[in-house]
Amino acid sequence: MSDRAGSVSLNGEPETPTLGEVPDIPARTGENTVAGAGPRPDGDPAFQRLRELLFLREMELLRALEKRLDDPVQHARETSEVIAEAVLLRAQKDNMLYTALEPMAEKLFKEALRRSPMDFVNALFPIMGPAIRRSIAETFRSMLEGFHKTVELVFSWKGLRWRWEALRTGMSFSELVLLHTLLYRVEQIFFIHAETGLVLNHVFDEGVATQDADMVSAMLTAIQDFARDCFASEQGGSLDSLQLGEFGILVERGTTAYLACVVRGTVPLEFKQKLRDTMIAMQIKYADDLNAFTGDSGKFAASRWELEDLLDTRLADTGAPLPLWVKLMPMAVGLLLAAGAGYWWYEARQRDIERRYMEESLVQVGKEPGILLVEARRDDVNHWEVIYQKDPLAKDPKTLLDARGIDPGTYTMLLIPFVSYETDMVTRRVKERIDPPENVSMEFDGDGTLRLRGKASMGWILQARQEALALPGVEKVDMSGLTDPRIDELKRMIALVEGTVVEFPLGKDVPVPEDAGKLARAMDTLSAIEKLAGGMNVSVNLTVYGHADATGNDKRNYEISQARARTIAAMLYARGSSMPIAMYGLGADYANREGAENGGKNHPRGETSEYTGDRASRKVELKVHLAQLPSDAGVLNLLR
Amino acid sequence: MINKKVCMIGAFSVGKSALVERFVRSVFSDRYLSTVGVKISKKTVNVDDTDLTVVLWDMEGKDDFADVNMSYLRGAMGFFVVVDGTRKETLDMALHLRKLALDKAGDIPHAMLINKADLKWEVTDDQLASLEATGIPIIRTSAKTGHAVEEAFVSLARAMMKD
Repeated sequence: MSDRAGSVSLNGEPETPTLGEVPDIPARTGENTVAGAGPRPDGDPAFQRLRELLFLREMELLRALEKRLDDPVQHARETSEVIAEAVLLRAQKDNMLYTALEPMAEKLFKEALRRSPMDFVNALFPIMGPAIRRSIAETFRSMLEGFHKTVELVFSWKGLRWRWEALRTGMSFSELVLLHTLLYRVEQIFFIHAETGLVLNHVFDEGVATQDADMVSAMLTAIQDFARDCFASEQGGSLDSLQLGEFGILVERGTTAYLACVVRGTVPLEFKQKLRDTMIAMQIKYADDLNAFTGDSGKFAASRWELEDLLDTRLADTGAPLPLWVKLMPMAVGLLLAAGAGYWWYEARQRDIERRYMEESLVQVGKEPGILLVEARRDDVNHWEVIYQKDPLAKDPKTLLDARGIDPGTYTMLLIPFVSYETDMVTRRVKERIDPPENVSMEFDGDGTLRLRGKASMGWILQARQEALALPGVEKVDMSGLTDPRIDELKRMIALVEGTVVEFPLGKDVPVPEDAGKLARAMDTLSAIEKLAGGMNVSVNLTVYGHADATGNDKRNYEISQARARTIAAMLYARGSSMPIAMYGLGADYANREGAENGGKNHPRGETSEYTGDRASRKVELKVHLAQLPSDAGVLNLLR
Repeated sequence: MINKKVCMIGAFSVGKSALVERFVRSVFSDRYLSTVGVKISKKTVNVDDTDLTVVLWDMEGKDDFADVNMSYLRGAMGFFVVVDGTRKETLDMALHLRKLALDKAGDIPHAMLINKADLKWEVTDDQLASLEATGIPIIRTSAKTGHAVEEAFVSLARAMMKD
C-alpha cells in the first residue's frame, strides 16, 4: 500500500484538484512523457528542490498518512473507535456477520463450557431449579388429585353405579368417568403463522387423536379467510370460535400469528384470559422471527412450554364431597378387622408354639435317669398338672424345667418316689453307698453284675461287697480285679516258706548244719505271716511233712520221717509260735503225703520210684494253710 | 423444519386436482373446493438433502375473470398456475391469474404447468416459446401419466429454497 501511495506521490499523477491547479505541470508532464525513455529528472537537484517547494505540505500529509496505516497500534486504536458502529451497520444490512461469527462463537462457547462447567451450572441453577420444582409440584398435584378422585369414586354409590354402567355399555371405566365429570378439556393447541397459515408449533394432550397439523392449520387459516371474505371486511372482524357438538375451536389472534385451541366442553372466562395473555407474550417474544418467517418452524420449538401450559383438564365436582374420614371409614374398619384377625392368628400360633415346647420339655425331663413321666394334663386356662416318678438320687424335675426356661407358674407338679433299676441310677446308688477309693474303678453291666477293679484295703473290699450286694439292682459283685497290697505280701511270704526244704543226715532226725540258716529264715517268715494274717482276721495253720530215703525198711522210714517233722515243729514252738502245727511222717513214699493227710493210707510203693536212698529224700517240707475266721468270710477266695 | 405455502391456481377443469391427487397427501375431501373454495394437501420434497414440506393450497378453478378471489394467496411462498393444453382459453385465464397472484403475493417463485400433455393441444409451441421468452417458466405435464409432475414440484421447491 505504501508503495502505491509512494508511486502516486512520486509520479505526481494529478489525482486531486490541488495538483491540477499547478499551471506548468501539464507541459512538464508532457515533456516527461515524451522523454520517457531518457534519464529521469529525479536525480536533478533543481527539480528536487522545485518539487519540495511545490508539494512540501502534501508530501508531509502523505507521509503522516503512510505512518498511520503502517503502525498496527495506531491502526487498532482507530479501528476500535468505529468497530461497534460498523458491526451494527452490517447486522442491519444482512446476515453475513452472523454467518461469519457463528462458528467462532460456537467454538468459544464449547471451550468455555469445557473449561469451567461449574460456572454454567451456577448460572443455570437459578433458572432450572424453579422450573424443575414447578414441574415436580405439578406432577404431584395431578397425582394427588387423581388419587383423591379414585378414593371418592371407589367409596361412593355413584362410583359403583358408573362401574355397572361401564360394564353394561362396554366403555372403559375411565372413559365413562371422564364423560360424567368433564367440565372442559383443552386437547390441542396450534400456533399458526397468520399470513401463510403454516403451523409454527403444535401440542396436544395425551391420548388425543390428531390430524396432520400442517394441513389442519392451513385449512383453519383458509376457513378464517373464507369467513372473513364472506362476512366481514378485510380489516375488521375475525372468526374467533367454531363449535361442533361438544368440540370447539377457540382462536386468539395476535398481529402476525394466532393460537387455535381445540377444546371439549365449555372453557371458563379465565382460560380465555390466559389464552390471550399467552398470545400477547408469544407475539412479543417471537416478533422478529414472525416478521421474517420464511417457513422455518424450528425457531419456534421453544414455544412448546408456553403452549403445554395451556393444555388443561377440569373435572366437575361430583356432588358434595363426603368428609375424608367417612370415605376412609370402610377402609379403616377393614384394616381393624384384618389387624384383629392377624392378632388372633398370631396369639393362637404363639400358644401353639408354647404348648408344643412344654410337651417337648416334659417328655425330655421324663427321659432323665431316675425320672418317669406318669401324666401331664393341660386345663382350660393353659395351666399344666404334671406327675413324675422320681428316684431319690435323680435330679429335680423342677430344676430341669427351669433350665429349659419353663415358668414355674405355668404348672403344678406331683412327685412319686420310686427306685429306678436304670443302669445309671444303680451305678450312682452303688457309688454313693460304697464310696470307692480313688484307684478303684467301677463298672456295671446290664445283667446286674458290678465289677470292681484296682487296689483297696481288704476291709473296704469285704464291706463294699456286702453293701453292694444289698443294694437294689445289684445281683452279683465281681471283685477279681481288686487286690489288697497285704495279700500280695502274704502270698510272697507263703511261697518263701513253702519253698524251704530242710535236709537231714542218714538215719538222723536233726537237720544238716548247712540248712540251719535256711530254716531260721523260714521260721522268721512264718512269724511274719502269723502276724500279718492276724491283722486280717485270718488264722494260719502249718503242716510239716517229714520224709525218709528208700534205705531201710518202711517202719523205720516212717519213724524217722515222723521224728524229723516233730523236730521242726518243736523248733517252731520253741520260738514261741502259737499256730497250730500238724506233723506227718511220710516215710520213703513221697506219694503217701496226701495219703497221710487223708488218714495215712499207703500208696503202692512201685509208684514212688523217684525216691531213692539219696540225701535229697531225707527232708522236711512246710505247708502253710490259712483259715477264715467266722466274722470275715471271703478273704481266702482272694488268696486263691 | 422448513414449510412452504404453495398455491395452485388455474381455470376450471384444467386438472389441478388431478395433479395434486396423484402426488400429494391429503386428509380433506374435494368437497372443500366447492364449499370453502380451497383444499389443503401436503407434499414433502427433498432438495439437496433438505426435506421441505410443501403445504399445497389447491384453489377452486374459475372461468370468470371477475369472480376470482385471491385472498387465499396471502402469504404464499410460491405458486403453480395450471393451463389445460387442449383449451387455449385457459392460457389467457392463467396469465390473468398469474398477474393477480404476483400482485397479491409479491414476486415469488412460480411455474406455469401446461397440463394434459398426453392429449393433442390447442396451445401451440410458438405461444409457449414466446411466453418463455418473457421469463415465465413453463413445464409441460400430464397428470394422467405423471409426466414431469415430480420435477415441477422439485424445481419450484428449489427456487423457494433460494428465495
